[in-house]
Amino acid sequence: MSIIDTKFEQKLALVVDDSLMQCTILSHLLSEQSYQVVTANNGKEAIEMYVKHQPDLVLMDINMPVMNGYEAAKKIKALSHKDSLAPLIFITSLDSDKAYIDSIEAGGDGILVRPFSSEVFKAKIKSIQRISDLYSQVKSLQQEQQKDAELAEKLMSDVIESRNVMLDRIDIAKQPAMLFSGDIQLTALCPNGDVHALLGDFTGHGLRSSIGAIPLAETFRAMTRKGFSLEQIIKQINQQLFHLLPKDLFLAVAFVKISLDEDVLYTFNAGLPDMYVIDNEAKIKNKLGSIHPPLGVLASLLGDVKVSVVPIAENDNVVMISDGILEARNKHGEMYDIERFEECIRTSATDNTIAQSLLEQVNEFSADAIQEDDLSIIVLPCGGWESSNQVLSQAPFEQELTIDEIDNTLLLWQWRLALHAEKLITVNPIPIVMSQMQELEGENQHFQSVYTIFTELFVNALDHGLLELDSKLKSTADGFALYYEERQQRLTSLSTGSIEIELYFYKTGTRNKLVIRIIDSGKGFNVEQYIDENKKHHDNIVKLSGRGVELVKELSYSLEYNSVGNAVEVSYIW
Amino acid sequence: MPVNHEVSEDGKIVTIFVEERFDFSLHQAFRDAYIDSEIKNGKVIIDLQSTTYMDSSALGMILLLKDFTDNASSTIVIRNANESVYKVLYIAQFNRLMEIEQ
Repeated sequence: MSIIDTKFEQKLALVVDDSLMQCTILSHLLSEQSYQVVTANNGKEAIEMYVKHQPDLVLMDINMPVMNGYEAAKKIKALSHKDSLAPLIFITSLDSDKAYIDSIEAGGDGILVRPFSSEVFKAKIKSIQRISDLYSQVKSLQQEQQKDAELAEKLMSDVIESRNVMLDRIDIAKQPAMLFSGDIQLTALCPNGDVHALLGDFTGHGLRSSIGAIPLAETFRAMTRKGFSLEQIIKQINQQLFHLLPKDLFLAVAFVKISLDEDVLYTFNAGLPDMYVIDNEAKIKNKLGSIHPPLGVLASLLGDVKVSVVPIAENDNVVMISDGILEARNKHGEMYDIERFEECIRTSATDNTIAQSLLEQVNEFSADAIQEDDLSIIVLPCGGWESSNQVLSQAPFEQELTIDEIDNTLLLWQWRLALHAEKLITVNPIPIVMSQMQELEGENQHFQSVYTIFTELFVNALDHGLLELDSKLKSTADGFALYYEERQQRLTSLSTGSIEIELYFYKTGTRNKLVIRIIDSGKGFNVEQYIDENKKHHDNIVKLSGRGVELVKELSYSLEYNSVGNAVEVSYIW
Repeated sequence: MPVNHEVSEDGKIVTIFVEERFDFSLHQAFRDAYIDSEIKNGKVIIDLQSTTYMDSSALGMILLLKDFTDNASSTIVIRNANESVYKVLYIAQFNRLMEIEQ
């Protein structure tokens, strides 16, 4: 916090009068006010002296040869530094309304009519000095505020948003307002390659609006990387912001998760304008409106509000915007609003230029008007991710282990977690398992496959084993939303049952071997029949309705179910 | 005055009127309208009949008021919002936090 600096050095005044006598009198009066004084005898000289000395105060006669006081005043005011007022007082014997009005019109800050007593003169100087001091205080506060806004914007773009991922595929456009207004855009990858994106709008301007940005970005990234569900991430962010932010600050935000295997979108909109799902033939397929107050307002999320699941197709795009887009005004005060917005995304959807076109159009619309709020857009393609993400997962080990390796198998550690009904409702063991792995074995590229394997197996145990959901429900994209809803319902009323998770980590010669065992207390399923059926329509059904077992089989070294079908053991070797 | 208020005779209802733009510039005036009221088990009505525009800092001010009314076992009612003001309240789902008469 800087304090407005008070100038202790002696102030300088410029006295302009064609009468040497007047110059001397005024100089004398000013020096009694502890001013240093320089003088000029006409308007032209005055300008030269002004440029040379940059005085703190100018006293100006009106009628002078060469250039009169009004003209000189106009030029001086045009030259004067924007950060200080450099007050100018006309000294005249013309006691008329016109002289007064002309003086102010010419840029004067006051007028003194002769004759005046030295007391009146001093009072006048004092009052004008007071105004001048206020002016520089306001200016320097303004500069502080501007610096804060710049810092906030730099923080957002350099520190926080520079770590965004997949920017070659996700289109992000952003244009901060004159006074940065707290928009934030984040993207991150889940361990299995699914994409998380967030568009947020903190209340307030400048630094005040960026208090929450760092914890928000950290939590969003760390939890995404560790495999937490969107719902858990949102809960955590809400809680953090509730404790961190003052009562009147909050985050309007929309979250999106594109699930590559399921062809669905998970979304949550808390206080942002509708998100749009639009296909490449310009058809608006879905609008996802705000369903929850902004985050940081309530201590915990409203119980009846859930992440929604929306079917998507390969050629869809998700469009997220901040309210700055819809509320951008033109010089007549009209807002850009929804109609223009929809028209713009429709016409630009076919050639995939939504973000860029939108920003251009809003700028065109509000040309000549001040941009009051940040403009932010995220456009996420729903398809085509597989190719860009595949490289992330490591090919599994496929050779048989040698006898030598099998003989030299050494158990390094084991880990076990059993979750009972009540805990299963609230606890997601996937990040717990992944963080155990990371803590014991460090970061490893193979953990993406381990994550996928573990997620599939655990979800099977919970969804099919305990909740007894039929995976056939998922065979259509719409069915997936139903499935998800049903799952939520059954999960929240789960009262019995448990799932056990066991991990065994071995060293076999130069290789590592991880065995994952998951046992649920459910009825199990007919393993042989399931495998037979799956073989029959192997081609397309597996993707949506399979138990993900095919995928696990592909990724792992071995996979075995017990005869009842409620316990599974997978080994993974690298 | 851009912010005015009335207190009912029994002191249980405070009605706050906001003129034209409900934005950050009214921060102090809006707070002054209720902060000294000794309301208990009562109601604060925000009457937006003359409000033409509202931004997110206004939402923040209403949240501060909510903190105040919660501590005073009182409630908030928002009424007479025009279409665009109502939309701001609705997008922020303030209908889940307090009563908004349509």
